Amino acid sequence: MANARALDKRRKSIKNIRKITRTMELIATARFKQAMDRASAATAYTDRITGLVANLSNTGLELSHPLLKPHDQQNSAVQLVLTSNRGLCGGYNGNVLRSAGENRQKLTEQFPEVRFEVSGKRGVTYFEHRQTPIEETFLQFEDKPKYEDVEQIADRYLEAYATGKIDRLDVCYTKFLSIARQQATVETLLPLGTLVDADDAQAEKENSNTFGSNNTIEFLPSAETILEEVVPMSFKVKLFKCFLDAAVSEQVARMVAMKSATENADELIRELSMTYNRARQGQITGELLEVMGGVEALKN
Amino acid sequence: MATAAETGQNIGHVTQVIGSTFDVEFSEQHLPAIYNAVNIKSTHKGIDLNLSGEVQQHLGGGRVRCVALGSTDGMMRGQECIDTGAPVSVPVGEATLGRVFNLLGDPVDGAGSVEAEERWPIHRPAPAISELSTSTELFETGIKVIDLLTPFVRGGKAGLFGGAGLGKTVILTELIARIASSHGGYSVFAGVGERTREGTDLWLEMQDAKIGDTGRSVIEQTCMVFGQMNEPPGARLRVALSALTMAEYFRDTTGKDTLLFVDNIFRFSQAGSEVSALLGRMPSAVGYQPTLATEMGALQERIASTDKGAITSVQAVYVPADDPTDPAPATAFGQLDAFLYLERSISEKGIYPAVDPLASSSRILDPQYVGDRHYGIARRVQTILQRYRELQDIIAILGVDELSEEDRQIVHRARRIERFLSQPFLVAEVFTGKPGEITSLEDTIRSFEEICDGKWDHLPEQAFMYVGAVEQAEEQAKKMEANA
Repeated sequence: MANARALDKRRKSIKNIRKITRTMELIATARFKQAMDRASAATAYTDRITGLVANLSNTGLELSHPLLKPHDQQNSAVQLVLTSNRGLCGGYNGNVLRSAGENRQKLTEQFPEVRFEVSGKRGVTYFEHRQTPIEETFLQFEDKPKYEDVEQIADRYLEAYATGKIDRLDVCYTKFLSIARQQATVETLLPLGTLVDADDAQAEKENSNTFGSNNTIEFLPSAETILEEVVPMSFKVKLFKCFLDAAVSEQVARMVAMKSATENADELIRELSMTYNRARQGQITGELLEVMGGVEALKN
Repeated sequence: MATAAETGQNIGHVTQVIGSTFDVEFSEQHLPAIYNAVNIKSTHKGIDLNLSGEVQQHLGGGRVRCVALGSTDGMMRGQECIDTGAPVSVPVGEATLGRVFNLLGDPVDGAGSVEAEERWPIHRPAPAISELSTSTELFETGIKVIDLLTPFVRGGKAGLFGGAGLGKTVILTELIARIASSHGGYSVFAGVGERTREGTDLWLEMQDAKIGDTGRSVIEQTCMVFGQMNEPPGARLRVALSALTMAEYFRDTTGKDTLLFVDNIFRFSQAGSEVSALLGRMPSAVGYQPTLATEMGALQERIASTDKGAITSVQAVYVPADDPTDPAPATAFGQLDAFLYLERSISEKGIYPAVDPLASSSRILDPQYVGDRHYGIARRVQTILQRYRELQDIIAILGVDELSEEDRQIVHRARRIERFLSQPFLVAEVFTGKPGEITSLEDTIRSFEEICDGKWDHLPEQAFMYVGAVEQAEEQAKKMEANA
């Protein structure tokens, strides 16, 4: 504890870390705003789609589409895990990966084959370390996922589902609930099951006002043809929303993590400075005492 | 006035009393030699004074300066002082076993006088280079952290360094309980400047403890010498020498392995510093005596194993203000074969013995002496703990989540190893409520190897606290699960 120089060196290195965390905090804050804008822009679109679907479902038609029904044979499941490419975001990746691990156990009970597809370097290294084979990796998604990119992936899934190559698709990602709350969730996107889920039901209610009374809408050429279009579209939009949510959550997580990291660093710096000052003062006092003691001793 | 010629004794007179030192004037022709003992016996106004001193300096003009080996209360100028013509001597041999002495070799246990055939002076030369034997045999203690990371040397010196209240004395008594009770030779305990109560406790404990299955108590093979906190500096300065002299006798004449326990060698340096200024020496670094290294060297060099016999010694060394760079502990460092450094941050975690696995080391922790396997595992354990320590700042700032997978695994294992280094003690049974664990060296090495290999990663950290071999951690984990 008394080594002032070692303490000073440590303090310097912590100051450097603090510089990094502080910068990351600022960057994350800026990126969060952008990602948030994109997400809310997309929300308008998804809300429309869900509103449309809700209207469809209210026509009283028998909705049937291959994507909505589970396959008779339950052979293989795919889990898509959305993690970040970069670190310094606290428990963001850890939480997603943990819930992915839990979900995997559930899936292996039902399906003989469970495959992983991972987006983000962090997730990839995690599974590599655990020596879990990964089917496909996507590293192109940064904080601004593009719809075209997601659509490609979505098309692949749709085809695989239609041809019976996969029987279920689960997406593990961090759901953005509010700035203060993000939750690692697992969502089953294929089979789509119901088109209107609890969240969207809320949107539907709000939208019903804009669309006016449901019965007044006429579907041309027919409700079924529109369904053909809308169901895959709805899947793509949902998948895209997952990516967007993940991106926003990542920035929020990074913001929070870096903020507390900066605070922790400040705390450490304060403590180290205190011990350093004490050690330095002790050294000076010791030396003074020695000199004075020597002088006194020489007097006699 | 009586002269040396009339009584056959060399008598001088006290001319000055300065704290725990005093000056005596003898005739120029009969100056007592340095280190000679002088006695003052007088009764003045009903106060009995019986004091011994040791000549330290010749001041010129027939005057000598002495360190008082007892309290100087009641001394006055003009008192008669007899030169004994020889240094302080203590009784040695079998007669001293089972007894408790002060530094002058007088029994203080109230069991009557000691009929020793021989008395040896406490100032003796260290064994010559040609007589020294260097041993590199490992001395098993059954304490995991010691056996693995700081193996003791049979016939070597081990030091327990630590600040106040970290458990030096507990480890020392534990070692006595472990070693002395299974040890065939003699043991000598020197209490230097520590609590008198602890000395009494130890004495009573030794009477109860039995050597193996022989039914004889440990005290029958042990002699104890005390010069505790209440004694003046002169006594604390010389008591270690008195005990050492008794141990030397056992080494040189019986040839048996002798154990020497010293609690606390720092008090020896401290006592030296207390009298140093009074003797007129200029204070050196941090106010210690300029002769610090000389004094320590003279003492430590005598604690040696020769071709006649071996002294294995364990010494507690107090570290003032937890600062190991303080000159007193620093001079002791270099003298030892194995040293354990007790760390406050570890004791704050509730891990006892609070041995710092990175700051402690041993001369024989070398593949040449302990074998490749032992050495390799000890180094692996240290590497893991070292990495953990390096990561600690990062964890404190960023959290465990930011670590790479490899580092996270290291942290995971390091935390288990850290806890696994604790061990229930025989002497601490009343405090921990757990029976003491003696872990064989083989078990220790295997346990740490398996933890490093990740065989026990699944057990909770808490399961590793206060167990012997790693299988007991597994049992403890099961018990914890059952209780939860």
